[in-house]
Amino acid sequence: MIKVIPGFQRDSFGKPQIGLDDTSLYAYGNLIRRTEELILDLFSRGLLSGTTHTCLGQELCQMAVVRALNDSDDVVLSNHRNHGHFMTYSGYFTGLVAEIMGREAGVCGGYGGSQHMAFRHFHSNGVQAGMTGIGTGLALARKMGKGRALVATMIGDGTLGEGLLYESMNLASIWKAPVLFVVENNGIAQTTYTQDTIGGTIEARGQAFGLLTWHLDDSASDFSQSVANIVDEMRNAGRPGMLVIDTRRLGPHSKGDDLRDEQERSAIVDRNPLTAIGKRLSPSERESIETRNAAFLREVEAEALASPEARFARSPEHALRSARASNVAMQPAKAANVRGAINAALRDLLSTDNNVIVLGEDLHEPYGGAFKVTAGLSSDFAGRVISTPISEAGITGAGIGLALAGKRPVVEIMFADFLSLCMDQIYNHAVKFPGMFPEVEVPLVIRTPCGGRRGYGPTHSQSPENIFVSVPGLTVIYGSHRHNVGQLLADTVRRWPNPTVFLEHKLLYGEAQDPVDYSLVPAHAADPGAELFPTLRRGSATPDVTLVSFGGMLPLVERAAKRLAEEEELEVEIITPSMLAPLPRQTLLSALLQRSHIAVVEESHHEFGVSAEILASLAEAGYRGKVIRIGTPPAPIASARSLERDQLPDEQTIFSNVLDML
Amino acid sequence: MASSIHVPRVNNNDDEVKLVSLRVAVGEKIRRGQLVAEVETDKAVVEVEAPVDGFVLGILANVDAVIAVGSVLLWLGERADESVPVAASITEHTSATGQPTAKARQMLHEHRIEASAVAASGDRLTVDDIERFLASRGKPVAASAPTRAVETVPDIAGNLRDLRSEERGMIATVTWHRDVAVAGYIELEYDPAAWEAYAKAFAERHKLLLSPLLSLMCWRLVELAEETPQLNSTIVGNQRYEYSAVNFGFTVQAGDTLYLTVARDAQALDEIGFVNAIGELQRRATTHKLGPQEIQGTTISFSSMARWKVSRHIPILPPRTAIMIAHAVSMDGRSVLGATYDHRVLNGFHVVTALRKLSKPNKPV
Repeated sequence: MIKVIPGFQRDSFGKPQIGLDDTSLYAYGNLIRRTEELILDLFSRGLLSGTTHTCLGQELCQMAVVRALNDSDDVVLSNHRNHGHFMTYSGYFTGLVAEIMGREAGVCGGYGGSQHMAFRHFHSNGVQAGMTGIGTGLALARKMGKGRALVATMIGDGTLGEGLLYESMNLASIWKAPVLFVVENNGIAQTTYTQDTIGGTIEARGQAFGLLTWHLDDSASDFSQSVANIVDEMRNAGRPGMLVIDTRRLGPHSKGDDLRDEQERSAIVDRNPLTAIGKRLSPSERESIETRNAAFLREVEAEALASPEARFARSPEHALRSARASNVAMQPAKAANVRGAINAALRDLLSTDNNVIVLGEDLHEPYGGAFKVTAGLSSDFAGRVISTPISEAGITGAGIGLALAGKRPVVEIMFADFLSLCMDQIYNHAVKFPGMFPEVEVPLVIRTPCGGRRGYGPTHSQSPENIFVSVPGLTVIYGSHRHNVGQLLADTVRRWPNPTVFLEHKLLYGEAQDPVDYSLVPAHAADPGAELFPTLRRGSATPDVTLVSFGGMLPLVERAAKRLAEEEELEVEIITPSMLAPLPRQTLLSALLQRSHIAVVEESHHEFGVSAEILASLAEAGYRGKVIRIGTPPAPIASARSLERDQLPDEQTIFSNVLDML
Repeated sequence: MASSIHVPRVNNNDDEVKLVSLRVAVGEKIRRGQLVAEVETDKAVVEVEAPVDGFVLGILANVDAVIAVGSVLLWLGERADESVPVAASITEHTSATGQPTAKARQMLHEHRIEASAVAASGDRLTVDDIERFLASRGKPVAASAPTRAVETVPDIAGNLRDLRSEERGMIATVTWHRDVAVAGYIELEYDPAAWEAYAKAFAERHKLLLSPLLSLMCWRLVELAEETPQLNSTIVGNQRYEYSAVNFGFTVQAGDTLYLTVARDAQALDEIGFVNAIGELQRRATTHKLGPQEIQGTTISFSSMARWKVSRHIPILPPRTAIMIAHAVSMDGRSVLGATYDHRVLNGFHVVTALRKLSKPNKPV
């Protein structure tokens, strides 16, 4: 139950209504200041979980934009210094204090703490600029929805050093997405002054990207009114903006890291705009407000202290949402080639669900993507098949934003090697939201061609599944031409509401999709997603050797298996999962534990990789047979085909290694 | 000099293209720029033109074939009678001529045979070659039942001891029983009076010092195996393999060693010949002088624990056999005939029928 705030009403969706008069601004600003002081007091009493970043001195700056947002779909994205934004948006004081204390009554039950909070359309994250692409995606979704809602993405001057910010500003500009980048310029990072870290001017950055740009000082007497006018202007502008607000923080960045001298600090105290508004009130009114607020915060403190320490009923094994039902017809099991199967699935997804949005580089007609997977789609689904700038992190962030807004984004990254550019968005954002906040889903699908044997060299030939399978909460799908790849994609987008990397080997694009004599390995009920993303097998039930492989390695494994059978008279079995993470562990163990010789074959740099995980699971389950793993050694992949051939495991490598094992 | 037209690369990502049409024929004179063929990827069709004037000397692909980018599509000559250059053929991998296949190598290792001892019938030494070799050496293939379990030394201090051949044989037996056979067990009590009277009379008639009772019951089983080939058979794939010979297995405990002695071609003997053969095997077993032929390759078998007065024992089926009879006499004098059988070959009816027939002699005293 969210407490009534003395002196304030809430609007129909629960947001506190704060007037522009001195009384209202002072009363709410004072409430924020006293809450921050309470938090610092709790910290010094050892009652906080971790550290915290207060907005002391920046109360008006933090209030001004958020208070002016009055559409129920407006979004506030914030950063490490978010308390003022949160309190202004939610009016949920006990939720904030208890959250930072790690108590059950916290707004996120103690999962997020000071830096990661979620409440309706408020989200914060502790990675600089991490939310900027997401804000752009949320804004694009709002623009598509034809409403008047805005996204306010709060950053500090320190964030101006992050590249993703500029990708996001550029994307917002070309998409005319209604997002306002609010730069709270307090003149200092943790301890480093802004003049030592910024070349040029801040506004020029906004102007360069074609953003409406404003520069205000929060100590100006009409500051909050000016901000309200800007928000109104933004609502009608149909394009992004940047608002730079000069402000000063009174306290340290976090705790114990304020190195500013006494003279500077006292100048900041003298300048303080909240104190200045207070001085405009009569002493009795000011005192009455402060007394009222102090009593309210005593109740908040008591409620937070009374709340038990946050505990898991049962520590979660994973944060995956379960598969959804679908009654859409299946994609055909056979296709002339895998490229066509994926193209047909995308076409089916786009035509059955208006929420499906495909974005990536060079997707449009007549080019249709670097590997032609999106051929013919941009003309038939105008506005939903979007060619983007070369901004992998930015479009991944935008995809997360679209997903948070209920869309079904399918982001194409031109080469899987470039996923490294998306890593922060995947690792610190896409998988964190559903993990931390039970009500939030991120049904983001990132499709990308991977693999070598084309002579593309060290940065266009890799199979990076080994890195991505280790990201907690990320699903990694990697089908082969024996799977129904179109159906795998359709199910990922339609039925699997979890952030997913969908790998497609370049060499499989031209292969005929045909299950031939493969059969299903029964999915174990304990494996999330195993039913939806099947593991297949073929060959002897009493094999001399079992080859476990996946994705683009499978055609080579099949050729090696044929030679082992025909030339060496061996009975060979092939087992091929389509989902690498979460690993269908029990499904694979059931299929493998009784086997005598197992070779796991993969194209990626396999140390610490998928094969290692499969074999570790076997070892833990008491497997005593012989095993080998075959993959690419930890050296960059060469460009010359002859060199590349020596590096990547092929038919002959598998053949010889298996014979050595037996 | 002849020049070649190569299969063009249509785009960066396809190493193979499909030949969809050929517009020229061998012997035809063509002009520079003339369309000679069309190739297709799954994205586009591309025309192939002649780069120079000339005569078509040879075409190296058929329409609808999938051909490698960069390979020669056709040869052009300045004259119609020029010869087409012959490309050196490249073999992808050298095959190991005369070497055993991996499976054959495993089998050689299992049987402790040198590869050089076995003649290869083709390029490679195969499983068939070894099976033929074993059969010719008289070592029955039936005896080999590979053990699949791969075990490591326990992490508690100890010493590894080599197993005797009959102990290794027991591992093969137990493993086959566990991994392959679908074993069932049935037993019934019977009145031994008829057999005892028959054996007594037989001993007197042939002046035997030791009771031939068990040998005579075994002989009866040989006769039943002849009458009902299913008893003397096993399953191979989806078929039943009925043995031509009755290689009769008979357990003999010699000190602490348990032998499954084998009387080969028992069906070729007569009653007294069989009794003598069993007696001879027992004598040799007690002195551990059995040859390899005498401890492997049983096709049907019999085990008695009457000496130990147990009320029941359930034998392990020897590899590739359908039934093993278990004979027992308990402390209180009850006589029991039981059988472990491979349910893939025999059902309960077969077994009970055989046990009933076995429970009394089929001839009068």
